Amino acid sequence: MNMNIATTPPSPLTTHVLNTAQGVPGVNMTISLHRLNPISSEWYLLTTGKTNDDGRCPGLITKENFIAGVYKMCFETGKYWDALGETCFYPYVEVIFTISDSSQKYHVPLLLSRFSYSTYRGS
Amino acid sequence: FLACKRLQGRIVDSVFALRFIAMGSSAKSSSPITTHVLNTGDGVPAARMALSLHRLDPRMAIWNLITIGWDGRCPGLITSDAFTPGLYKVRFETGQYWESLGQSSFYPYVEIVFSVSDADQSCHVPLLVSRYSYSTYRGS
Repeated sequence: MNMNIATTPPSPLTTHVLNTAQGVPGVNMTISLHRLNPISSEWYLLTTGKTNDDGRCPGLITKENFIAGVYKMCFETGKYWDALGETCFYPYVEVIFTISDSSQKYHVPLLLSRFSYSTYRGS
Repeated sequence: FLACKRLQGRIVDSVFALRFIAMGSSAKSSSPITTHVLNTGDGVPAARMALSLHRLDPRMAIWNLITIGWDGRCPGLITSDAFTPGLYKVRFETGQYWESLGQSSFYPYVEIVFSVSDADQSCHVPLLVSRYSYSTYRGS
């Protein structure tokens, strides 16, 4: 994703991947954001990206595109651990969540090890 | 059968060994895949949360429904014979659960996808859930 960081407002939806087994950010993990089309029940791909050295993925969505609805964040956890030479119980993690008020900020992090994960709604 | 209606669109014709587990049934607890749902917001087991177990058919790239359950701790999810290596998914109807308690939730449902490489080992796939967070781990 090419972005002019100086002029692009921050995404209202953010994430952060933490490798809790090693106590480090989850770097270079592929993430994709999707929105559910309520009429067709199909997922529409909005963005793909990789986490940076801090485990974050700025620029997930613009304020204009961030409408109320059901979203899915997909984390390629299997490939992440594979790149570290390890297996993982979870080939990927999908977090499906509902945005009812798109004027708020939402933070959807993933705290991950090879055999466990957790997520929460932050702001 | 509210969960059944909602899952209706997801049931494929090639489903085999479809099993319905009623609440309070005396199904064997020797299933190699087990789960346990805890409502961490209220500090109680999540009773009457509907859930379902699926296995990925790698050739057709579709999920086959194996079992539907109605209780937060659901014995008898799969038999040892049916438990083969592959990708599995447990889907928890968290949105419906919180709605039945008169509350909203950030997660309309939770799906946990996991990989079984050794079918001799059993897998415990619990869900600890509140309205705004959840976690899972691999137990045995």
